[in-house]
Amino acid sequence: MPYYVRKRIINVIISIIMLIILAITLLPVGWMVFSSLKSSTDIAIGRVGLSRNLAGQPVVHWENYVDMWKNVNFGLYLKNSLIICGSTMVLAMIFSTLAAYALSRFRFPGADFFSNTILATQMIPAIMYLIPLYIMFVKFTVLTGIPVKGTFTGIILIYSAFFIPFSIWILRGFFASIPKELEEAALIDGCNPFQVFRHVALPLAMPGIIATGIYVFLTAWDELMFAWVLTNADTMTIPVGIRLFVGNYQNRFDLMMAAATVATLPVVILFFMLQKHIVKGLTAGAVKG
Amino acid sequence: MLLLHIFPIAQGIYMAFLDLNQFTLQRYLLAPFVGLDNFYAVLIDPGSPIRIGLFEAVRNTVIYTVVVTIGTLVVGMIVALMVHRNFWGRSLVRTLFMFPWIVPTYVTGLLWGIMWLREGGLVNVMLVDWLHLMPHKVSWLTGTNTIWAIIIPTIWRFWPLSMLMLLAGLQTIPEELYEAADIDGAGPWRKFWVITWPMLRPVWFILILFGLIYNTYSFNIVIMMFGFGAGFPGEWGDLMMTNIFRNSFQLWNFGTGAAASVILLIVMIMIVNVWYRYFKKAEDM
Repeated sequence: MPYYVRKRIINVIISIIMLIILAITLLPVGWMVFSSLKSSTDIAIGRVGLSRNLAGQPVVHWENYVDMWKNVNFGLYLKNSLIICGSTMVLAMIFSTLAAYALSRFRFPGADFFSNTILATQMIPAIMYLIPLYIMFVKFTVLTGIPVKGTFTGIILIYSAFFIPFSIWILRGFFASIPKELEEAALIDGCNPFQVFRHVALPLAMPGIIATGIYVFLTAWDELMFAWVLTNADTMTIPVGIRLFVGNYQNRFDLMMAAATVATLPVVILFFMLQKHIVKGLTAGAVKG
Repeated sequence: MLLLHIFPIAQGIYMAFLDLNQFTLQRYLLAPFVGLDNFYAVLIDPGSPIRIGLFEAVRNTVIYTVVVTIGTLVVGMIVALMVHRNFWGRSLVRTLFMFPWIVPTYVTGLLWGIMWLREGGLVNVMLVDWLHLMPHKVSWLTGTNTIWAIIIPTIWRFWPLSMLMLLAGLQTIPEELYEAADIDGAGPWRKFWVITWPMLRPVWFILILFGLIYNTYSFNIVIMMFGFGAGFPGEWGDLMMTNIFRNSFQLWNFGTGAAASVILLIVMIMIVNVWYRYFKKAEDM
């Protein structure tokens, strides 16, 4: 067998294996959507396919996607999640862009210490913040009368504080990759340092900022532990609220899967829209080492 | 920064030395100072209530972290090598492979909770009814099977990130190295271990580092899979995080919970340090 034929065959075999892996990878997601179209009895008695009506036709329960909004207040949780994650993203990006630029451009005492501290915060278990913050929130309200626990302000502040170190760390790399000569040229042309940042560095770093912002949004969308403890019935986010489909009074796995599909949809859309930016942003740090 | 990071951490560490439970919570930082009693309760005292299930949680966390970190790396590496070829529809396949990584972790937990069901769960249906790989249906969510029931979804969720990073690394390896190896008559296996793996060192260093940190603190998938937060994951499914969370917010035992997380933090810092040292040494060679 000639060399190129053998190579061709090996290539085809690898492609087939790859497609099998791809199918296994996507299967759970398909199962989620499929389960959301079953009836709740189907899941409870462990029927594999869809149930059939008297005429022998399979019944697709599209109404799950209507019922899920009525059964629990899912619309409210979706709105809360969007508000909290959106605000967190904007707030975290503003602060971390400024901090990252400062860290990458200006030498000031303690800059290295600051950078190391940022990395160190990633190592602390979240639960170590959680208990003191919880009690701080309660105490603050008792002392001043201003409610913090269970408000948007409280949870947004916590999330921002949580994501800023990580964002600074990523964005620093982006600002460092912008050639200094461009900024020096702008300075010679008579810009002040702030104008340099506004008109030269910021536009060039925009892809990185978008990627980091999306990453922050995705992670905030995913956060359960803090939201669980620090929100109340009015500010609950999706991860906390979705648990209500299965509880003491009902067992609606079908509606839960429908809600899970709806909760996954925004991030999937966001990801596919900005896929190029995200991939570039995430891999930039790793390849540079 | 100062208010929301350093202040809570300082309090968190200080809390580990207090006898803080539902009776003394009102006084918070003025609660009785008990010195190292909480650490004694967590580490040594065999009769203290917090010790129930603690050994299992530590054991599970170690197994879980090691298996998940290595598993994501291995699967990510294999698939990265597969998609790092020229074929029709390459960018579409790469994008589809990223899919699990976008699914939120709480959805992953819920979804796999349904897939592991004994009757009608996808895993049993596939293995028993379709492929006939197993003689009878398995209860995945009880007994020692539980640890696999939490490891596999986590690998499923996180390997695309490894793939993405490794793929980006693969693209930076110069083609000449492989051509030179071809001339020397090296096979694909040898080429991988001599060229690819060493060249990807910065990538897998970061991946293992973050994998160790992230998986030790894993919480969402386990908590959502078992009773949606209310239940006990069983002695083979309980991790450190879920254990501490339960102790703190269901048993209202904040002091010992804080002590356990301080110990966890110290262990974590040591592991990260060792990994850094090892890497530095390997780099000097």
